[in-house]
Amino acid sequence: MLELNNVTISYTNQPAVCNFHLTLGQGEICSIVGESGSGKTTVVRAILGLLSGGGQVTEGEIRFEGKPLLSNTKEEWRKLRGTDISMIFQDSGAMTNQTRTIGKQFVEYIRTHERISRKDAWDKGVYMLERMCLPNGDNIMKSYPFQLSGGMRQRVGIAMSMTFRPKLLLADEPTSALDVTTQAQIVRQMMELRNEYKTSMLVVTHNLGVAAYMSDQIVVMKNGKIVDAGSRDDILYRSESEYTRNLLNAVPSLGGVRYV
Amino acid sequence: MFDEKELILEAKHVTRRFPAPNHRLLTACNDINLKLYKGKTLGLVGESGCGKSTFMRFLVSLDTPSEGEILFHGKDITKMKGEELRLNRQKIQMVFQDPSGSFNPKMKIRDIICEPLMNFGRIKKSEKDQAARKYLELVDLPGEFADRYPHHMSGGQRQRIAIARAIVLEPEIVVMDEATCALDVSVQKTIIELIVRLQKEKDIAIGFITHDLGLIQSFAHQIAVMYLGNLVEVLPAERLEGAVHPYTKALISAVFDIHMNFSRKIERIESEPPSPLDVPEGCPFQNRCEHCMEICRRVRPALKELAPEHKVACHIYE
Ligand SMILES: Nc1ncnc2c1ncn2[C@@H]1O[C@H](COP(=O)(O)OP(=O)(O)OP(=O)(O)O)[C@@H](O)[C@H]1O
Ligand SMILES: Nc1ncnc2c1ncn2[C@@H]1O[C@H](COP(=O)(O)OP(=O)(O)OP(=O)(O)O)[C@@H](O)[C@H]1O
Ligand SMILES: [Mg+2]
Ligand SMILES: [Mg+2]
Repeated sequence: MLELNNVTISYTNQPAVCNFHLTLGQGEICSIVGESGSGKTTVVRAILGLLSGGGQVTEGEIRFEGKPLLSNTKEEWRKLRGTDISMIFQDSGAMTNQTRTIGKQFVEYIRTHERISRKDAWDKGVYMLERMCLPNGDNIMKSYPFQLSGGMRQRVGIAMSMTFRPKLLLADEPTSALDVTTQAQIVRQMMELRNEYKTSMLVVTHNLGVAAYMSDQIVVMKNGKIVDAGSRDDILYRSESEYTRNLLNAVPSLGGVRYV
Repeated sequence: MFDEKELILEAKHVTRRFPAPNHRLLTACNDINLKLYKGKTLGLVGESGCGKSTFMRFLVSLDTPSEGEILFHGKDITKMKGEELRLNRQKIQMVFQDPSGSFNPKMKIRDIICEPLMNFGRIKKSEKDQAARKYLELVDLPGEFADRYPHHMSGGQRQRIAIARAIVLEPEIVVMDEATCALDVSVQKTIIELIVRLQKEKDIAIGFITHDLGLIQSFAHQIAVMYLGNLVEVLPAERLEGAVHPYTKALISAVFDIHMNFSRKIERIESEPPSPLDVPEGCPFQNRCEHCMEICRRVRPALKELAPEHKVACHIYE
């Protein structure tokens, strides 16, 4: 389904990710965890061909359903992005245009991928928002991004990305702006999407509890490299990597260490 | 634990209403009463959209409440203007939820960190480089980052820049809005240890918004739980597991942890939170509460003392 082979990604000739490998089957969920700044977002953006500021894949190949992605033309990307491959960004708030209402942006997004009337696109948007536990979808559609809380904006982003039932969903910190009950709902919804539509997912998260709960495989990154990878149990209970164990020890747990 | 002599900021009956489409009003904060003490941390948790950021923005004078007052050393900051307001701003600083949005993308990190110092004439231009390096190192980033632009950094790195910038003026109060949620847990741990150390050294009062209950319990003194604009429970952090409000309990049970049982099904929360535009009469949590009684649909429970330093707004405990 998705394959990354020996991928190296650089920003203006400085490698940010080195020799990255990943194989993701249909309906599989993989989490990438690890150091901040280790290149997790870079990997996800590279898959979508959306590297920022001078970023480039300098080595290796990325295949989606057997097809190499790196040689895609603009037109091929346009067809793929937002439909077969969809993405939830680290902060959807900054991604959306602040000066236009959610509804305008949502309707436009739907209409670039589907021949459908404005009215139907609007209703579809409202339906998706309500599925993401945003009550009063109509009011949200009429709001500007700055009028919504961070968590609400994030759910709008998730609702958009799920509209076309993507085959592959890339999610960069999808729940880190959400309260724990909403997070639990979103995690549940993502897993239902996987079960119903066999969507494969690559999820970047700092929440090791969420990663462990959702994932079939977990990749641990540090400094641009994979330092550890395996099933949940491999990572949680059998890891030989010192970094992984450090990370696990730093997870704040209820009833755990107190500093004051 | 809290000594009234150490009280530095007190929010009294703070309410904020926003105009919403179709001439309606959205109550983002409803009659909030909270106190900040010298050298102590207040953690604010709750549903996304329940008004946490709205409340904290008042403290740094980015917004003013529709009603109520905020007393800083006894003086109402919601009434301050001009030079008095400008000078007061040095003493209360904030780290924003979404740091990428609060930086000027054309400024280098050096200038971003030093801007507050320059604005208040604390350093000379020639001292900028040294100051920037010092604060970068304080938040565990290499000094060379001074020459970078914010969009050339990862999300977590930008977040640390925001923390560095907030502490350069040595404020009395630092408000942090989800300041560590973009960091990996190991860097987060370093930052929390740094914050706790700075707090002890400089007696800083901290207001910390987060969704991570394990995290806030590890370093806060007091935790306030909000739901749909209302405070529903306030209690000492070390007694978080003794929380009694049904919403606080729901929060605690929704935490994902590496020690949890992974085959446990995620609980289906049948009802959704009401829209903040249609907050029902009575208790804001009524439609999701399994203990909902007849009175809960009619009368909004007041925040009442249950035990020393533990307050709850719930009819079960009236
Ligand atoms: N446009 C860019 N130009 C130059 N360097 C960049 C650029 N974007 C990212 N980097 C650098 O590449 C490295 C990886 O960044 P990336 O955003 O992928 O990290 P991340 O693992 O997603 O971190 P976080 O968890 O903090 O979001 C970082 O050191 C960052 O400073
Ligand atoms: N400028 C504004 N105009 C209109 N409504 C607003 C404005 N700012 C916030 N709101 C509304 O006030 C409510 C509270 O928002 P706030 O940002 O304080 O939530 P929050 O508790 O910080 O949530 P999160 O955890 O998701 O960041 C939300 O319903 C939001 O839509
Ligand atoms: Mg990232
Ligand atoms: Mg907020």
